[in-house]
Amino acid sequence: MDKKLRFVIVGHIDHGKSTLIGRLLYDTNSLPEEAMEEIKKAGEMLGRKVEFAHIMDHLSEEREKGITIDTAQTFFKNKGKEYVIIDAPGHKEFLKNMITGASQAEAAILMLDVNEGIMEQTKRHAYILNLLGIKQVVVAMNKMDLVNYSEEKFKKVRDELTKFLESINVKPTYFIPISAFNGENIVKKSENMKFYGGPTILEALDSFHKKKDREDSKLIFPVQDVYEIDGKRIIVGKVECGKISKGDSLVALPSKHDITVNTIEKFLENSDSASAGESIGITASGDDGIKRGSVISGKVNPPRIKREFSANVFWMSPKKVMKGEKLIMQIATREVNCEIEKISRRINSSTLEIIGSDADRLEETEVGEVVIKTESPVAIESFNDVEELGRFVLIKNQDISGGGIITSK
Amino acid sequence: MIAVFAIDALEYELVEEFKCENLRQKFRGKTDISEFSQPRTMVLWSSFITGKNKEKEVLAGGNKEMWDKKWPIGETFFSRFKNPVVIDLPGYSYDTKVHAESRRLLKEFFEARPEEEKEKIRSPYNRDAFEHHRKIKEEFFRALGQDHDFVLGYFSVADVVGHLNFGNKAMMRMIYKELDEIAAEIKGKCEKLLILSDHGMQAVGQFGDHSNYGFWSANFEVSFKNPKITEIGRLLK
Amino acid sequence: MDHLSELESRSIYIIREAYAQFRNIAMLWSIGKDSTTMLWLVRKAFYGKLPFPVIHIDTGCKIEDIYRFRDEYAKKWNLNLIVGRNEEALKKGIGPKDKLECCTELKTNALKQIIAKHDFRALLLGIRRDEHGIRAKERYFSPRNSDFKWNYQDQPPELWDQYKSKQDDEQHIRVHPLLHWTELDIWEYIKREKIPITPLYFSKNGKRYRSIGCAPCCNPVDSNAKNVDEVIDELKKTKTAERSGRAQDKEQAYMMQKLRSLGYMILF
Repeated sequence: MDKKLRFVIVGHIDHGKSTLIGRLLYDTNSLPEEAMEEIKKAGEMLGRKVEFAHIMDHLSEEREKGITIDTAQTFFKNKGKEYVIIDAPGHKEFLKNMITGASQAEAAILMLDVNEGIMEQTKRHAYILNLLGIKQVVVAMNKMDLVNYSEEKFKKVRDELTKFLESINVKPTYFIPISAFNGENIVKKSENMKFYGGPTILEALDSFHKKKDREDSKLIFPVQDVYEIDGKRIIVGKVECGKISKGDSLVALPSKHDITVNTIEKFLENSDSASAGESIGITASGDDGIKRGSVISGKVNPPRIKREFSANVFWMSPKKVMKGEKLIMQIATREVNCEIEKISRRINSSTLEIIGSDADRLEETEVGEVVIKTESPVAIESFNDVEELGRFVLIKNQDISGGGIITSK
Repeated sequence: MIAVFAIDALEYELVEEFKCENLRQKFRGKTDISEFSQPRTMVLWSSFITGKNKEKEVLAGGNKEMWDKKWPIGETFFSRFKNPVVIDLPGYSYDTKVHAESRRLLKEFFEARPEEEKEKIRSPYNRDAFEHHRKIKEEFFRALGQDHDFVLGYFSVADVVGHLNFGNKAMMRMIYKELDEIAAEIKGKCEKLLILSDHGMQAVGQFGDHSNYGFWSANFEVSFKNPKITEIGRLLK
Repeated sequence: MDHLSELESRSIYIIREAYAQFRNIAMLWSIGKDSTTMLWLVRKAFYGKLPFPVIHIDTGCKIEDIYRFRDEYAKKWNLNLIVGRNEEALKKGIGPKDKLECCTELKTNALKQIIAKHDFRALLLGIRRDEHGIRAKERYFSPRNSDFKWNYQDQPPELWDQYKSKQDDEQHIRVHPLLHWTELDIWEYIKREKIPITPLYFSKNGKRYRSIGCAPCCNPVDSNAKNVDEVIDELKKTKTAERSGRAQDKEQAYMMQKLRSLGYMILF
């Protein structure tokens, strides 16, 4: 349980993400020794001091090339706990990699250079964290050493950022003044910032939770496939939330077939039930018409069946999308033709400026408040109620080009 | 005085990435060595000093003799100077013994089994390169302090260390910083400074392979941007 | 749910997703611990009845134990086994003398031939993110063109269990169900599930293999770990990278070739 915390580091490219990663690894003693040894020796022979920048270089080279061009993952351990850093690159054109990384994270560190303050990317990334539903956020206020560890400066920038974050509904759990370069308040507490009594970065991460197993919520079992094995029809999929048991009387959507669970099928294992997170199979009576894309749920308060709903969509492809254009939507295991019927607002994801109302297109990195119309009915929920049925991707020209969350109440 | 800081395998892209201002100088670019079948050290320096494509002649000697090749001063542009000094340059005043030892260790490294044995060779290999570097550096600055109208110093550390460590960027940054500081120091000691490499280097995992262009920079105005390596010597006067 | 069950469940999901999307797929089985673990997961995903073939690329220079293990379990698990050998290259005598050529011909080209012959749309591979720097950039579903080129700077995004599933005819998709596992996870899972593993992974005369491949290119590491438990103990202590046993073999081969051609290495 709680074995590995996956977190993403986002923020403007020069605000110290790589240095923070280097620090976390260095201070938790997670760097490869051999290569470090060679660097030290070379330093001695040339009469040069080994700088932290050198170590960073080595790390980034280990992870290929100077800048993190993609979502690289770095593993480290401290005091028996394991962490996975998903490093999201700060370059504007790499937005889709950042989203790929952030969508897998349970927590996020938003890096901010106190000297430079809030930048375009700071806003864009914060906004995307919100869109992706990442609620466990630490703001690392970096480069405190360059402002003489000024409490005043820290508070000023913190207040500015808080104001912005409030406007997009992001509520960080912590604001931590750090110097990634000197390793202050990362793993070790800083002697230079007595005004700050809160946790270090690592302590803050430790206070976070892994995504909860969603056993207590109502059942959502999207059908991934149907296999014919030894004369049995096995309906397979992952239980996204809730619990499914032998004998349950359920409904398959959107066809609204009633079914009864006959058996729970796990390979070489006898079991009468399965819960959130498990990839299983079931056999059921009344299962005709169930196929990939069906959603099995309880009969009380099942997901809604819609052909039209409102959503926030972020567009990640350099190829723009037009209103009314034919797209494919994938939501859980369901795939359905759709179009964006209306773009009520077109928003610049970094300035949050509204570029247009009742617009006809969305371009790369833009966010739209839209209405989506599907070719046939789909089982959905609003993202805030049931994430798993409240988020989707849009496919254009064979590529995942947009992501979205359903806002319809 | 004209000084030439000749650096084996100095890579244009790394000079830029590490922001080595002194190596970059006011004018700079890549050299065009596409006329050669491979970026070979001995071929390239020979062609530089003679102003002619010497690939065939150098290779005719075979792989072993190639390294012993020494061009008479009359065939090089050095003859235009009254009192030139050329330190350790391949094809002219190359210390064949020291460099042969480097190549021997390199071969030993690649042939060593098992892997752990390799790591035992890496250290002495690097150490040799750094030691030789220190020696050449001293000699070079001694010459720069004397009354010569032309001084050339050849530095092989970026190539030698690079072959086994180019993927270790921390190591390379340290070497480039060292070379950058040498460049800064030369500047105050001569009127014209040309910095030139035979070829650059690109990473193959942790190793380094020659890249297909060289680096040049000058503190005086020149008419070219991507010169052939044979065109550069004639500018020095 | 515990950690290993979570990993297992996610992998099974991905395996089933690949089959649901492409149908005409296959998995690569090197007989090593990772792909054997993957095979185990594939068996779980399909209740022991694999709906697609298992490919073993045979370079002719594999370690003897590997063949024995392969044949034993191919039979026991009723696998549709495709053995891929580049017979033409083998006839020409291509072998480990030139490692780069050897790998290209006997592994890459052998696989290309099989994909072309069966027109597979996707291949399951047991690679993990923690294996190697560049692998950290891999996605679960990763398109490759007909030349096997991977454009890692411009990959489709992957979010919320939605993967790249549409492709051109000339593309095939590499699917990586074990991407999120670590070396230690694999061993702990092997222990929990009692997955059979070739004995090459266990210490004999103070040496064991940490990763396995072809006989000439694989070096055992120093180790006294004689069983799964001891391997797990050892891994918990070590900081050396797994692939150091066959560290950068290809790169070394390439460098030797290059240095020779540059006149560095013929000398002595």
